[in-house]
Amino acid sequence: MKLKTIGVVGAGTMGAGIAQIIAQSGFAVIVYDLNESAVNRGIGQIAARWAKQVQQGKWTEQDVWAFEQRLTPTTDLQAFSDCHLVIEAVPEVLSIKEATFRRLAEICPAETLLVTNTSSFSVTEIASCTMRPERVAGLHFFNPAPVMPLVEIVKGLQTAKETVVCLEQFAAAIGKEPVVCQDTPGFVVNRIARPYYNEAVRIWGDQVADVAQIDRIMKKAGAFRMGPFELQDLIGIDINFSTTTSVHQGFFADARFRPHYLQQRMVQSGQIGRKAGGGYYRYEDKN
Amino acid sequence: MKTRTKPRVAVVGTNALAESLREEISRSADAELVLWEELQANPNAPAIELVLETHNLDLKEKRTQLQLIERVIPRDCLILTSVLAVSATEAASWLTHSSRLVGFATFAPVEEKQLVELAGALQTDGFYVERARQFWLAIGKETEQVKDEVGLVFPRILAMIVNEAAFAWTEKTATAADIDRAMRLGVNYPDGPLAWADQIGLDDIYAVLRGLQRELGEERYRPAPLLRKMVHAGWLGKQSGRGFYRYE
Repeated sequence: MKLKTIGVVGAGTMGAGIAQIIAQSGFAVIVYDLNESAVNRGIGQIAARWAKQVQQGKWTEQDVWAFEQRLTPTTDLQAFSDCHLVIEAVPEVLSIKEATFRRLAEICPAETLLVTNTSSFSVTEIASCTMRPERVAGLHFFNPAPVMPLVEIVKGLQTAKETVVCLEQFAAAIGKEPVVCQDTPGFVVNRIARPYYNEAVRIWGDQVADVAQIDRIMKKAGAFRMGPFELQDLIGIDINFSTTTSVHQGFFADARFRPHYLQQRMVQSGQIGRKAGGGYYRYEDKN
Repeated sequence: MKTRTKPRVAVVGTNALAESLREEISRSADAELVLWEELQANPNAPAIELVLETHNLDLKEKRTQLQLIERVIPRDCLILTSVLAVSATEAASWLTHSSRLVGFATFAPVEEKQLVELAGALQTDGFYVERARQFWLAIGKETEQVKDEVGLVFPRILAMIVNEAAFAWTEKTATAADIDRAMRLGVNYPDGPLAWADQIGLDDIYAVLRGLQRELGEERYRPAPLLRKMVHAGWLGKQSGRGFYRYE
């Protein structure tokens, strides 16, 4: 199937990032959000990044003009009735995602592929809200979406092979590297990365080493770019804790994923990382 | 100031870690590698100041080796033992002169490591920890001293990551190559966990997990089914031509 027009539901950080990379890659993109201000905020973010990239010499004014021609904001999901592929990037709340897929299944033609950018829910469960689970899959982008090269293509239990092939081609067409995986909790990256944070907190909690030591060791002995604690501060300890909790639940409390109370205490304290001025480390106010 | 002669060092072990340590010490101008076999064969050989012992997979054999080492070396000779699968404190308990044992933790290849972790046993005399630090410094490694626990920090965290990748692979969540690519591109890991494990040696990864499982008694550290079987089959990674990948 030839994909020409792509819909993106949700103009938040992920939705806007995804729409941006798609418009840059020559596809027409329709971006939806609940109201004008939300959708315009997303479009504004994209425009600001393009303006900056023109200054940096990455694009010409003409390039960006062409990108903008391909980018259409909407507050009406009916606008997706001609889309070949719709990417859902609404807030990570299952009821909102399910409601979105039910609406999309009514509006979009039967052959339209419907994909979710979820990082924590079962693709199989979301697909079951539609009458076309074989045309539903996960398409998981990483933040920031315009920059991070990876996308995980997640096969639900009923996802058709052709759907996966089509998404692999689409990922390549927008300059991403796809990895195909089964619908397991945390998929590949969020699952396998869990111990980097979780075991580090455990080691700290057991007083084997302190936060700064663990960060130094992982960088100097392990050649990781950032230590597990400074990385949590960057991501947001709250976000990290919620991913850990969700993977833990997804595996029915398998001990490998058991979160640590110390990480929960950090979240409870409000010291959740850089965005709060402090987490495991203190940060100077950079405003 | 008295100039110190360079320390005479022997490495006892057969894993990739031992090989890698021998290479690293041979390269260094500030330490002299003595072959353990020669030392055993020649009772009149000059004394050595340091033995590095690297057994991880079979702890009974590790215990036998450490006790054998103690019969060959002087009583004040530093024993640096790999604590990938056992605590330094337990290893020290196997010795007659336990205060000279210091635990270290790193993975092969040692050449690429900027830093090595050290941990004294509860019985260790601080003097020996300082000597251990001096030795690593002499062969160009920073050290970080942490508390004694199986696998210390980097090997423990990386073994857990490899184990999760091995579980995902066992379950056919994705192919080995895709798992590795996902971790390199998705979270900027310096290497994919499965290719990384092949280079380290699956025996040492497995030893860390088994050691943690044995010592802490938690299901959390259970090795992935295929990782366990590959170690039993002798598919230890690059060194044996086959691990998660095949090598020519």
